[in-house]
Amino acid sequence: MVLQTLSPGAESTLVIAPMLIVLVAAVGTLLLGTRPRARAGVSLAGGAAYLVAVAAIDWYVVLAPDAPGAATYQVGGLPAPFGITLVADGLSAFMLTMVAVIGVASLIFSIRVLPELDRRSYYFPLFHFLALGVTGAFLTGDLFNLFVWFEVMLMASYIFVAYYGGPQHTRAAFWYVALNLLASAVFLLGVGGIYATTGTLNMADLARRLAAPAAYGIDPGPVVGLLGLLLSVFAIKAGLVPFQFWIPTAYRAAPPPITALLAGATKKVGIYAIIRLSFTVFADAQISVNLAIPAVGTILAGDSPLAFIGAVLFVMGTASILVGGLGAVGRDSLEGVLAYSSIGQVGFIAVPVAIAATTTVPDIRHIAIVAALVYALNHALAKGMLFLAVGAVRTATGTSRLADLGGLASRSPLLAGAFFIGSLALVGIPPLSGFFGKFLVFDAAAQAGSMSVLVLLLAGSLLTIAYATRAWNRSFWGQRTPAVEDAVADPVQVAVLLALAVTIVAVGIGFEPIYRFADAAATAALDTDGYVDAVDPNQTVSGVDGGNVDAGAGAGGGGGETGMGTEPETEPGTGTINTSDGGELP
Amino acid sequence: MTTVIMRTTARIVVPIVLIVAISLLIEGHNLPGGGFIAGVLTSTAFVIVYIAFGLDFLERGVLGRDVDPGKTPSRDRVVVAYRRLFTVGLAIAVGSGLVPLALDHPFLSQSYIVLEGVPLYHHLEIASALAFDLGVYCVVIGGLLTIISVVGAE
Repeated sequence: MVLQTLSPGAESTLVIAPMLIVLVAAVGTLLLGTRPRARAGVSLAGGAAYLVAVAAIDWYVVLAPDAPGAATYQVGGLPAPFGITLVADGLSAFMLTMVAVIGVASLIFSIRVLPELDRRSYYFPLFHFLALGVTGAFLTGDLFNLFVWFEVMLMASYIFVAYYGGPQHTRAAFWYVALNLLASAVFLLGVGGIYATTGTLNMADLARRLAAPAAYGIDPGPVVGLLGLLLSVFAIKAGLVPFQFWIPTAYRAAPPPITALLAGATKKVGIYAIIRLSFTVFADAQISVNLAIPAVGTILAGDSPLAFIGAVLFVMGTASILVGGLGAVGRDSLEGVLAYSSIGQVGFIAVPVAIAATTTVPDIRHIAIVAALVYALNHALAKGMLFLAVGAVRTATGTSRLADLGGLASRSPLLAGAFFIGSLALVGIPPLSGFFGKFLVFDAAAQAGSMSVLVLLLAGSLLTIAYATRAWNRSFWGQRTPAVEDAVADPVQVAVLLALAVTIVAVGIGFEPIYRFADAAATAALDTDGYVDAVDPNQTVSGVDGGNVDAGAGAGGGGGETGMGTEPETEPGTGTINTSDGGELP
Repeated sequence: MTTVIMRTTARIVVPIVLIVAISLLIEGHNLPGGGFIAGVLTSTAFVIVYIAFGLDFLERGVLGRDVDPGKTPSRDRVVVAYRRLFTVGLAIAVGSGLVPLALDHPFLSQSYIVLEGVPLYHHLEIASALAFDLGVYCVVIGGLLTIISVVGAE
């Protein structure tokens, strides 16, 4: 029996735990076939286990006093950069926590919404596969593997968009599938190009090679353009202008709990991928960017791909804020308002990312990333909760058209209260979670000294107030319509909404630990060396024998020094197999 | 009904396709091949049968069951079996990945064992990757044939 594998430590096994839990839950619900109660039970157990596993990652890897800050898992025991590495660091953990909270809420909600639909179809297995794709995308440390998880996520979401099978659902699904197939092709093209340019797809290895291209004998020039391709793919997932057009139809077509998950979790995968690739992987690349049009002159110049990313994201983000805000004001259904609103809100997340990419001051970059993350958390909670609230309104009244609604507040005060808190969080009223998100975004813009950005953000905030007020007035205040008159809100759905509302209030009031977490996440996102070191500790110090590396304790670089000088120095840049060279990084 | 040429060709080709598929499955872990391609090839054999003899042939001709022609294909016993095969395959693949975890190795770790002195073969190599491949094989056959029979009936 030959098993040449590294035996992982406890932290390391934790990294893969959330993925295994959703995978087993997906297979379990499939095996249970046509027993809806058992399926729901297994789903809930999986959701609870997922929450526990993510909380354990949060604590043991990121937040505990002696936490390593990052943990890795080498799938199949194949060492990085050859195998697939899973990395849980602050940024991944922050994103996973967001998904876990909104995912479990929408899972409980689903059980009350869909008993009759699930009987003959695959709702719960697909739900878990969607969660699996999102989880994998947050954890993977490999660019091609990221593509695979995107596909897993998309396959499940295709079916959900077409779930009800009516004409408008099929139409929405057709657009959604066509657009995403195109995006996947572009993604693959970008990944292939990056492999051809740098010779690796492991993110840590990529970062190391791009920081010292000469040592590896590569010309990193094409990487900027390839990164542009990837950026457009991630912008499609995040729904940034000009790739926002699929969002309203797809969000209206999918079942409400799934829409909550699409807006709360899969959208954030796009944002996560932009932050991870831009700041962790490509930030140290030494490439001069010089974009000039003969008639106009130099448009942008810088010595890092970040200058390019920043400029593009900035345009996309501000356009999203305006398009989303203006679009939301005129919609005639609650889903429509929220779908356009989520285009605008993603703009609010993209703008601080753009600020972080354009600035050269480390402190401003840090605060801008924190702002983007806190805003993303707020958006996941508030928008997820609002979409669930629309689901509850639809269960109760059978409609979500603003014209048919009115006076819901007197009919179901608790449902109305939850919707109200969600809207206020979206607007950014203290002490809710949204206030800190908006505050940090404004703070980052002010520190970067950009007046025009501040004005745009302010305009976007005013639009938020306008559409949130309109949606609230039309559906919850005023005369009761016939649809509302005999509406009965489902108690379990309302309980889920209230739990989320309490979470939003709690995040706002007890903001200090959340800030600490977001701070750790931003540090992890910006700490390329730490990431490289966590994935591959024997790479940063020359001469450590690869066979002795303990993948489990591979964080923080503590073990690296021991090997110094035990082996003759290898010449950097000799081989394509980079276990033979090291010491490029400070 | 299709032509005599088509049906005669199908009789000859289908066994060959199936044998090639199984050989691809078995040697896939260290030679070109594997669960996916073997599954696709096996599905192709079924598709040839479907094209040559019609959608009901498998149930009526091979399994000797009565087929109610008005029934929706997704309720057919054969399609139910395909879907079950898909699920079982997925369970096998995931399970084969989980076994190394129980033995304190990373998820999806693989190994192999060499048996000497086996009758006929002499030297036989059994790889754990075969279990994963088998799972993939079942998933591909189950998934593809479900789609083909349901969409084909429409």
